[in-house]
Amino acid sequence: MLSIEHYRLGNGLRVVLNEDHSAPLVAVNVWYHVGSKNERRGRTGFAHLFEHMLFSGSEHVGNNEHFRYVQSIGGVLNGTTFFDRTNYYEMLPSNYLALALWLESDRMGFFLPALTQEKLDIQREVVKEERRQRYDNVPYGTAFERLLNLGYDADYSYHWPTIGSMEDLGAASLDDIREFFGTWYRPDNAVLTVVGDFSPSEAKELIEKYFADIAPGGTFPKFSLERRPLDGERREQFADRVQLPRIYRLYHLPRMGDRDWIHADLLSTVLASDKASRLDRALVHEQQIAQDVAAYVLPTESTGMLLLHATAKEGVDTEKLEKAIDDEIARLVAGGITEDELTRAKNRAEVDFAHQIENHDTRADTIGMLATYFGDPTMIHRWLDPYQAASAADLTDVAARYLVASNRATSVFVPTEAA
Amino acid sequence: MTDFRATAPLPGPPRKYQFPHVTRRTLPNGLRVLVAENHTAPLVSMRTLVRSGADRDPAELAGVAGLTADLLDEGAGSRDAIRLAEDIGLLGGSLGTGADWDAAYASIDVLSRNARPTAEILADVSFRATLPEDAFDRVRNERLTDILQQRDEPSAIAGKRFASLLYGTGVYGNSVIGTNETVSRITLDDVRRYYAQHYLPNNSSLIVAGDVDPDDVANLAEKAFAAWTRGPEPPAPKIAPQPFDSSRVYIIDRPQAVQSEIRIGHVGVPRSCEDYFPLSVMNALLGGVFNSRINLNLREKHGYTYGARSAFSFRRMAGPFVVAAPVRNEVTRESVTEILAELRRIRTGDVEDRELDDTKNYLMGVFPATVQSSSDIAGRLLDMELYGLPEDYFDRYRENIGAVSKDHIARVAEKYIDPDRALIVVVGHAAQIREPLGSLGLPIHELDIEGAPIA
Repeated sequence: MLSIEHYRLGNGLRVVLNEDHSAPLVAVNVWYHVGSKNERRGRTGFAHLFEHMLFSGSEHVGNNEHFRYVQSIGGVLNGTTFFDRTNYYEMLPSNYLALALWLESDRMGFFLPALTQEKLDIQREVVKEERRQRYDNVPYGTAFERLLNLGYDADYSYHWPTIGSMEDLGAASLDDIREFFGTWYRPDNAVLTVVGDFSPSEAKELIEKYFADIAPGGTFPKFSLERRPLDGERREQFADRVQLPRIYRLYHLPRMGDRDWIHADLLSTVLASDKASRLDRALVHEQQIAQDVAAYVLPTESTGMLLLHATAKEGVDTEKLEKAIDDEIARLVAGGITEDELTRAKNRAEVDFAHQIENHDTRADTIGMLATYFGDPTMIHRWLDPYQAASAADLTDVAARYLVASNRATSVFVPTEAA
Repeated sequence: MTDFRATAPLPGPPRKYQFPHVTRRTLPNGLRVLVAENHTAPLVSMRTLVRSGADRDPAELAGVAGLTADLLDEGAGSRDAIRLAEDIGLLGGSLGTGADWDAAYASIDVLSRNARPTAEILADVSFRATLPEDAFDRVRNERLTDILQQRDEPSAIAGKRFASLLYGTGVYGNSVIGTNETVSRITLDDVRRYYAQHYLPNNSSLIVAGDVDPDDVANLAEKAFAAWTRGPEPPAPKIAPQPFDSSRVYIIDRPQAVQSEIRIGHVGVPRSCEDYFPLSVMNALLGGVFNSRINLNLREKHGYTYGARSAFSFRRMAGPFVVAAPVRNEVTRESVTEILAELRRIRTGDVEDRELDDTKNYLMGVFPATVQSSSDIAGRLLDMELYGLPEDYFDRYRENIGAVSKDHIARVAEKYIDPDRALIVVVGHAAQIREPLGSLGLPIHELDIEGAPIA
């Protein structure tokens, strides 16, 4: 059993400590409870652009020096942005714990004095290149963006992906940065997780020293997301420079952690994972009408989604492929799943989770997620319980209720000349 | 402002790191067995390493090593493909197979309580693969479809054209997956012949890392793998790189491109190169890590790219040295100029103490962070076996990196980096980048994405 200690500083910062001396490493991870869902219209992509800015220095740390401090002692570091959260992390030789806390506290409390227009302009260009590299210049690169556009109403902020639009990235100003920082980047909106080779009493002293004097913010702005259920399937066909058609689907689910979400997670393994999974076996192995097929749920806090995609073989028509997918889902709902299928799906969940908490850095991230989304980092001990408790009927029940046409958005990518 | 924030805090005393103890033995059939204990999670990683990869592909059958590896999980021993997947799933494992230039692999990561039955399945996959006919047709078709899909992927196109211009049609000149032409030509007999010639215990190693007891593993390996029979060692392959006497530019036209995929480089060195350590430090400083010169220049100074990197592909024979950067169309020429300037500058010996220290400290310090999981440890043992590294390699790694000096950097840069005889490949929108690239004053050729000249 992992030793998990958690407490709150006077300014509201939540702290989680997981002592583990198996390697001379320490992972420091900060989750801010802000993501692209908190962006306003006309500023999509802003939370992620902001994440880049937090690597460009703070009052006592020069531009690019954050990377240099960490890398020059053999540390690794990065940050990521998603709908509901932004995380920043470093993993270092454990005798450098104080360095990581100094760096993270400086950007939490003393970021604005170092902000310049030039830094913003450079990072804006870098993020635009990120968009080109990962979305615009690769086949199917805009599929997720298209699905979100289709699957969520324009007033629901999962309507756009974290990368945002080129136009909105261009519009971001220094004032936007200052406002966003003041609103969301504050100790009472963050979880600091430390995992690894440290002495808890020393760690607590250091955390107090570096973080306790950072002021909390005022009241949080009113922010609520009200998702309307789909009132029928939403579909589009999109002509892109691709060799083969691909079907993308997004099914609405309850939020991560909900019983139905967990059952849908297991169901996605039964549907598409290894060669023996339903869709792989039927579409790729037996009928040979698909090049590949995938199904998975995303770890999202505000609402849940199951994504499914399948690439048609050359000459295979997408209607035939869609029908084959729906036939398999119908067969599963009507005939149920076997105990062996359920056991394999549970095994995979167990192994995936064991891998996720095997390393200090990914364990710290998992703890930060549980503390942020569920308010309880000790859920790490119980995360698999609802998975183990699931029955075959639970999975077919979720398939019957959620994997229906009226609950999905479908985007069909076809080669340009076929449009 | 309080004083303690003004400067970075000092470190405490370093704590010692020790790479896990490795137990080695060789079975009577020549199979080497390596076991490393790691009890941090109830998992075990088991891998068969076959020391033949796509470098053994006959040129006209490029892709046969990869196709053979792809077929390993399509049936083995008494199980067909579905049964294999089902049984591994019931053990809480996942099976992966594949090949790269130097080797083929079969690996299973599994709950450690199921190590024994897993070893038996891995043995089946390693030397009792059934390579069935119906699976062959399907899997070959899947590879041909992969090749077709790569026509849309700018980084795949850049990699293929770069390799082919550097190494011709022989070893390292194709991609591991092969071409439409060569894969179409491969028959099931070719695959079965490849399997028989190369999947031999005396050409292989079994690597086990994780929550296991070394004696138990030795016993079960002996049982499961003893029936694998020896064969003659396959002959060593050769490469035939195309020497260049001056730099040249190849534009691969992709009219829909919103970025140029740039590749700049030349033939590098084999993994066995005596200058491996100074080269590793030199490359890390030049373009191997985030805070390297090329990335800081192109990304953080100019905002041309999301990321630029340089790398030596240390393979059994001399793989390429290449700088890779995707940049927006408008700054293609500027990016090429900056990269060439960095390649020239590193050769002059202009290296600051601080950047050398930072780089060495990074390489020495980061090692424990890269070998946390059993799967990571298995990967390191695999390198050791594949490249014949000494048993104390990981224990002496820090010392070897620590010994690299500024003089070494200058010497290896001058010896192994050659910006005046570089191959420059740019996959991008030719109409937009042709003229700017012309101002480099280098000969320019234009090709289509399959490498055919455009008149």
